Amino acid sequence: MKRNYFYLCVAAVAFIEVALFWVSVDIVDPLPSVIAIILGIIAIYLARMHVDEVIDDERTRKITEITALRTLQITWVGLFLFALWIIIDALGEEFRHFNRPTGILGFRLLVVLCGIIVVYVLLSQYYNKKYGA
Amino acid sequence: MKNKIKVYRAMHDMSQETLANEVGVTRQTIFAIEHGKYDPSLILAAKIAVLFKVRIDDVFLFDTLEE
Repeated sequence: MKRNYFYLCVAAVAFIEVALFWVSVDIVDPLPSVIAIILGIIAIYLARMHVDEVIDDERTRKITEITALRTLQITWVGLFLFALWIIIDALGEEFRHFNRPTGILGFRLLVVLCGIIVVYVLLSQYYNKKYGA
Repeated sequence: MKNKIKVYRAMHDMSQETLANEVGVTRQTIFAIEHGKYDPSLILAAKIAVLFKVRIDDVFLFDTLEE
């Protein structure tokens, strides 16, 4: 399979996914959309295996690595600042009576951000071990 | 890191696309290496050198001052 044909297949799968999303919305049932996404991922994976030309190489992988890391860093800092903002805003003068929903959202967001750090550290240790440390 | 890939490609009458296919990378990667925007891995450098039947340091000119 040619590389461009593969990209057309990906576009077709994406189009079908969007169509099924609206079907799910219409019938108020998320199941078709969820199944479509799983089947879509499998279809793209199988199509990718049959591409004769090179789709990604060491340069594109390096670009992906750096892009992913920068995206994680920027998103993490952005969400952390946002969480702090809404927590401080919610606390305000009602420090002793903290029950505003935005403050709760801020604390939940902080928990998610801590979870991301935990996942990062675990994966970092795994790859550190895998690559010889 | 400077390199002579373009020279060796010309000597072997080889296009970027052909070289890319031979060493298993995209044409854009060969373009990036030729223009000094990307330094290849040791494996890729070795593949290119083997393909041209020369040593790695014949194709790639490592300059310590650059680093």
